Amino acid sequence: MRTSLALFVTLLAVSFAAAAPNPKLAEMLAAKDESGKPIVGPDEQKYYNGLNDNVRELLNQAVQNENITRPEHLAALLSLQLRSQKMELLLQNNCILCHSDSANHSADTLFALNPSSTDKPSHMNLREIVEDVHFERGISCAGCHGGDPTAPLGHDHVKEWPEKDRATNREWVVAFCARCHSDPARMHDFNPALPTDQLAKYKDSPHGETLLEKHDSRAAQCVSCHGVHGIRPAKDPQSKVYAQRVPETCGACHADAKIMAGFTRADGSPLPVTQLAEYRTSVHGKALARGDLGAPRCNTCHGNHAATPPGVAGVSRSCSLCHSANASLFDGSKHKQAFDKHNWPECGMCHGNHAIAKTNDSMLSTAKGGLCGDCHREFSKDNPDCIATADYFHQTITQIDGAKEKFQASAEKLASKGLDVEQINNQLTEITDGLRKSRTHIHSFSRDTFQQVAAPALQAAQNTEALVVKAREEYNFRQFWLALSIGVIGVFMLAIYLKLRAMEKDKR
Amino acid sequence: MGWYYLGGVTMFFFIVQVITGVLLLMYYQPGEATAYESIRFLTTKVPFGWLIRSVHSWSAHLMIISLVLHMFSTMMLKAYRPPREVTWVSGYLLFMLTLGFGFSGYLLPWNKLAYFATTVGTNIVKGVPLLGDWLLEVMRGGPDVSINTLYRFFAGHVVILPLAFVGLIGLHLLVIQRQGMAPPLGKKVAPRGMKFFPSFALRDLLLWFACLVILLSLAVFLPYGPGIPGMDWELGDKADPFAPAYPGIKPEWYFLWEYQLLKEFPPHLFGLEGPQVCLFLIAIMFGIWGLIPWLDKRARRDQSSPAFSDLAWAAILFLTYLTLLGWDIGAGKAIDDPAALHHAARVCAWWTLAAGLVVIVVRWVRFHHRWYLLSLAALLQVALHGLFGISYLLGGLIAVLLAAVGIVAGMVVRPKPVGAA
Repeated sequence: MRTSLALFVTLLAVSFAAAAPNPKLAEMLAAKDESGKPIVGPDEQKYYNGLNDNVRELLNQAVQNENITRPEHLAALLSLQLRSQKMELLLQNNCILCHSDSANHSADTLFALNPSSTDKPSHMNLREIVEDVHFERGISCAGCHGGDPTAPLGHDHVKEWPEKDRATNREWVVAFCARCHSDPARMHDFNPALPTDQLAKYKDSPHGETLLEKHDSRAAQCVSCHGVHGIRPAKDPQSKVYAQRVPETCGACHADAKIMAGFTRADGSPLPVTQLAEYRTSVHGKALARGDLGAPRCNTCHGNHAATPPGVAGVSRSCSLCHSANASLFDGSKHKQAFDKHNWPECGMCHGNHAIAKTNDSMLSTAKGGLCGDCHREFSKDNPDCIATADYFHQTITQIDGAKEKFQASAEKLASKGLDVEQINNQLTEITDGLRKSRTHIHSFSRDTFQQVAAPALQAAQNTEALVVKAREEYNFRQFWLALSIGVIGVFMLAIYLKLRAMEKDKR
Repeated sequence: MGWYYLGGVTMFFFIVQVITGVLLLMYYQPGEATAYESIRFLTTKVPFGWLIRSVHSWSAHLMIISLVLHMFSTMMLKAYRPPREVTWVSGYLLFMLTLGFGFSGYLLPWNKLAYFATTVGTNIVKGVPLLGDWLLEVMRGGPDVSINTLYRFFAGHVVILPLAFVGLIGLHLLVIQRQGMAPPLGKKVAPRGMKFFPSFALRDLLLWFACLVILLSLAVFLPYGPGIPGMDWELGDKADPFAPAYPGIKPEWYFLWEYQLLKEFPPHLFGLEGPQVCLFLIAIMFGIWGLIPWLDKRARRDQSSPAFSDLAWAAILFLTYLTLLGWDIGAGKAIDDPAALHHAARVCAWWTLAAGLVVIVVRWVRFHHRWYLLSLAALLQVALHGLFGISYLLGGLIAVLLAAVGIVAGMVVRPKPVGAA
């Protein structure tokens, strides 16, 4: 009994000792600056009080081992407000502990705390490094820089890291990252789902060829897109390769005339720098900007690690990944053969590439300035059959669209008069559906195929016309009978009134 | 003189309700898969079905309007004084039954709006002390509004309430026939001593025809109501108990003041649930209203009782302000934004104060009233809440205390208040 009690008291004392700060740490927590203000502020104190015993013990040890020697340093670390697992990793990493103390380091080697600070190198941001996917999985500084993070001091750099010119000659970066990312066995320990073929793809890409074969370090390599410290998974909205951030990441080089100077296309023409600006004005760019993550961005058509221009044949294949119905109709059309003969990009010929604008029915016009008309005058010698077909498409679609607009307005007006417009709305759905299909079936460039979807829409427009006329007649009918009823009631009222007057007269 | 015909007008609308109600019954099929569908069929396919439903709905609202006017005119003319206490009480009960008709009929089309409005409406009975949960379950036929609720509301709407209503109307008309119309204060007989038949009956018939013209015109030109919240009966979508409730659900306009009063109460008050205190207060107000023939001692002695005339006006101002607030007049679409709600309260307060001022001036100049303590207390509460941002309850408390002080002071200084009702 006595032994058990002693054991309990000992355990209690141990657990209490583990949770309590050692005198040095307690002194730092209570320290005040010259003006008498606490150096470790109330938010940091609150965070410290909420830490579990293990993290507190690690803090005790860090203070004991003199990895944290100043209350300002302690306050900086606590102000990160990291969740306990991350704080454990940080407190066991002597590299970060030492490089986050402003008393020991100059701006070049100090991890800055303020993310908006501009006087520090951007990759030396402590808040970023603790968010890094590598840091989270236990591959901290030593994973790339070498050395022993548990040793008091150590700067044993890895051999793959060039001593000289590593900032200007970036070829080493690819091989450096690939030490792990091309090693399936190693990657399996961290993220088995992540592919390990990035280097192989990169080598075949124009980026890889420029860097590794032409030795031009302007070419993008791993850190150009993923960053240095603070690398986040692609699904993280703050990642540089998150869907919505891809255009600006690619545009960092491709929209910069200085960086792109001298780069050419396969035909020798200079590589433009207008893609980003064009993309932002396009339907795809606008959709992405408003949060549609399904909208295509640079890598959807060009690829990621094997990023490459799609080429004439590849353009339509990129488009057909999403616009499959249009692509399928086009593949069966006469235009397919004609475009192939001219070696024209299929979709891009009419819709463009980066600056794809919202389509307009006037594109079908055969008049001067209309897409169909202009092209056919130049390349098809005004073939009357083609012109007639284009005119038919244009007229029919304009007719269906006009009917839709007209009957929608009629339906709203009739509904406001209290008439039942359910049938009209059903027919309007048919018209809208037919209009959408008709616009798609233009890509068949065949009158018969187009008619199959346009005819039901035209029929629905006729039905709607009849229903609208019927509803208007019903409204007039209601008004007529109301007026008649009021007339009859009025006669009764007049009769009663006259009778009352006669009675009043008799009474007098 | 026109006030004497309001009872007849109400009666006319009730007869219209019975006739159109029976016609609706020929097509209406209560049931989960049939209630909404049968009303939809009636309004879209059945010849003149839309007209029957429209007349029924319009007539219901017009009946409540004429009933409220009838009740307040009775109050102003002190027509409840002996020996007509039974007329007042039966009329008071008929008013309650009419509200019951409105509430139960609202659910019957089984559409989305009705479903959620009934869920919110029935939830109020939860506030009844001790019996709340049980009452709610009895009312709904289960823990939630379901098809069981529809069945019992249907039974109430077409059998129970009409039977009670017809019985009470019989009593109401019988006592009126036996006692005649109430003469004005200080007079022994009704003006002009008109005979009920044919003189009064023909005038009534003339007015009924005029009401019929108004009713038909409204029903034809606005078959789904004027489109304002609480007065809109467009069928919309079918009720879906699994769909999320949408914001901005309002009860019918004649329940808006209760709905708004409940919103003005905090969750807890005096150690009780806020809604319980609110229901208790509403019960007291209704109780006082029902007992007015016995409380108005001066009217019982056939003397003018300006305090009770003023009480009626104070009640009208109180109901007006709460109804306008419930309607979010001036809030636009931002009904959840505190700044917009504050702006709305200010707009409603200005409207109510303006209406109150007009009423006081008319009473002063035209009717020579000199007793305004209760109306002024009601307007003070409106100003404190709407213009100065003080909580509705605190504003009410200040107004009631000041009115009480005023009444006591009046009794001390002038034992017999001067003025005519």
